Amino acid sequence: MSSPTANEPTAGGVRFLGTRRDYWRLLSRGAVLLILTLGIYRFWLTTDVRRFLWGNTEIAGETLEYAGTPLELLIGFLAAIAILIPVYAGFFVAALELGPIGEISGLAGFAALFVLGQYAIYRARRYRLTRTIYRGLRFHQEGSAWGYALRAIAWWIATVFTLGLAYPFQLASLERYKMRHTYYGDLAGHFAGSGFGLFFRGLPMWILVVAPVALAVGAFVEAVDWTALGDALSQGGDDVMARIEGGNPALGNVIVFAMLMGGTTVSTAALLYPAFQALVLRWWTSGLRFGAFETRSKLRTAQVYGAYMRFLWWALVFSIGLAIASLPALFVIGLVSDRGTGGEIAATLTALAGYVIAALGYSTIYRATVMLSLWQLGMESLQLSGLSALDTVQARGRASSPLGEGLADALNVGGY
Amino acid sequence: MTSGAGIYFDGRTSARRDVRVTLAADTLHIDGADGRPLAQWRYDDVQELTAPAGVLRLGRHDSATLERLEITDVAFASAIDVRAILVDRTGALQRRQRASVIGWTVAATASLLAVAYFGVPALADRLAPLVPVAAERKLGDAVDLQVRARLDNRHLGAGFACGAAPSERAGRAALDKMMRRLSDAAQLRMPLTTEVVRRREANAVTLPSARIYVFEGLIKTAANPDELAGVIAHEIGHVAHHDGTKAVLQAGGLSLLFGMLLGDFIGGGAVVVAAKTVLQSSYSRRQETAADAYGAALMKKAGGDARALGTILAKIGGATEPGMAILRDHPETRARIAAIDRIAGPHPAHPFLDAADWAALQHICAR
Repeated sequence: MSSPTANEPTAGGVRFLGTRRDYWRLLSRGAVLLILTLGIYRFWLTTDVRRFLWGNTEIAGETLEYAGTPLELLIGFLAAIAILIPVYAGFFVAALELGPIGEISGLAGFAALFVLGQYAIYRARRYRLTRTIYRGLRFHQEGSAWGYALRAIAWWIATVFTLGLAYPFQLASLERYKMRHTYYGDLAGHFAGSGFGLFFRGLPMWILVVAPVALAVGAFVEAVDWTALGDALSQGGDDVMARIEGGNPALGNVIVFAMLMGGTTVSTAALLYPAFQALVLRWWTSGLRFGAFETRSKLRTAQVYGAYMRFLWWALVFSIGLAIASLPALFVIGLVSDRGTGGEIAATLTALAGYVIAALGYSTIYRATVMLSLWQLGMESLQLSGLSALDTVQARGRASSPLGEGLADALNVGGY
Repeated sequence: MTSGAGIYFDGRTSARRDVRVTLAADTLHIDGADGRPLAQWRYDDVQELTAPAGVLRLGRHDSATLERLEITDVAFASAIDVRAILVDRTGALQRRQRASVIGWTVAATASLLAVAYFGVPALADRLAPLVPVAAERKLGDAVDLQVRARLDNRHLGAGFACGAAPSERAGRAALDKMMRRLSDAAQLRMPLTTEVVRRREANAVTLPSARIYVFEGLIKTAANPDELAGVIAHEIGHVAHHDGTKAVLQAGGLSLLFGMLLGDFIGGGAVVVAAKTVLQSSYSRRQETAADAYGAALMKKAGGDARALGTILAKIGGATEPGMAILRDHPETRARIAAIDRIAGPHPAHPFLDAADWAALQHICAR
């Protein structure tokens, strides 16, 4: 019999104990059950995933525990439905109104649901924290979810208007708000990361992504004869395009240039995305504090690229398998599709099943590779200090309602 | 094995204690390293909690605190498992719960599809006649704005409708004559509004609140006034059956059933869209069949040639239609014509308009 104090090789660090194979089994079984139950199983799958991730994360010799249940998530979802149905019905009726009410109802509906989504994000975080148990004590979160939602909206507007330049400051400010109201027992958290720190590290990436678009816009402004374009547009009729070309002989070249630059931006963004994700994750996890307890992240960008390479490899394997498996399915569709309505229904169901299997397959591979790796790398790259602060914490906080999770699920803003 | 080592958290502080656990008759004793008793748990209350492989983590059911006991020794863990009812290391309890969840959701899905196929149209059929005229008119106005904007793709504005220019007035008068004869026979609770619009397709559409748009192309396709009147009679069938309002109610009902209750999972969106499309096409086919029957009967009542609806359908629909039957919103043309002919039977008919009026109507979009 082993003495529990003896197996503490990582007393000062974070270890992830789960195996990729177990997680993969959990996810693939969940994907099958999601199809069979038309998605109702997601409450069970989400709970299983969290139990796995939390339960296998060992911090200073003790693992986290996720104490939420699928039934709570289901109840939260039903409560969210009860709230959202009248809201949706209201916007549906308003859209039928004539005049200004009908015209703004679409925009107002989008804005209202966006605010509600931010509210849900904060409430859902509260639910997850109060279901997270470490050393017999739970985490909890105070603060106002509406207060968070208003801040988030203000920051989102700023980020959109500055073409993303305000995004680091948005992340820092919102994370400060979240962590300031986060507690482990009676030990208050805070966030030490600064917006400028992220801004200066992210700026080169921002320039690489935005520069091609800026060049394209500049070329447009330079090349286009604005008076001729205005004339061409104001005359209307079927031959607008012909007249635009007549007035602006250089326009064709500029459009080709703009398309090239657009393609450059998209591919640069895709190539840089893992680096950006690594940067944000490193910055975020280096700023988490609970009293004197501090974390520092040693996450390397190459590790995140490795996770994406693994995703691409498995996605390729899955695609090949899918292509081979679809040959007999296509053959069957060809046989039955001209056999009346029954055959058509069979063919439609086969095609639909193929689509769902493909979509769920790629998403499962993504979760089993990139998302698991980000969790594991994010955790294992942490260096902890001030651990003694965790030894004398007193219990505080109570389990919160799962309404936020339900709203987040219904509004599609959920996280892990 | 009745005693072993464990790690204990009392749920009040984060202190980690190495403890000695002793299994007595009804309770489990937790004693500190110094031998001081820390807690006593009844086996009935002991509950297994999620933990990584190789660790048995226990808590107490309905406990006010989150006190935890962790056992890493396999033999000792199974000794506790034997005694505590709620501890179920085989996972059989969990599997049973899951199986019942899956069974019931499959049953719920079947019942949901049955409600969508039979219940939603039945509800819409019963609710649509109860919608007040004022509400239907409001709905009609809202739909009208959108439909006009979509149909009028040459941006003609007020000139989109035919019959206003001096050269077109005679055509408008002829159309009014035709409409009078049809609406006298139909006896609807709402006055009909009919307009001919400048679109080249051979088609006609009906909006809620008894508004019918006849496309210019349909008049060009009609060989005689009764063919045109037949199509308009079919559209009056949609008005009499409140099909516009029903369509809105059905679409709303389906969105509610599928969009909200089912799910947000990857690929689930496609399932929902496909189910909605197939169901809505099936509703629409039922409505078209009913409107054909109404149109043929109305033509008969108004003294026109009821078969004319069938002959113009043959020209519009063609003999064979490509595409999948379950996605079409109209039934098969041959079946429609056969059904119309059955209703028409042999009956005397006199033309809807005389030659002069018909010639004028054919030039309603002369401008």
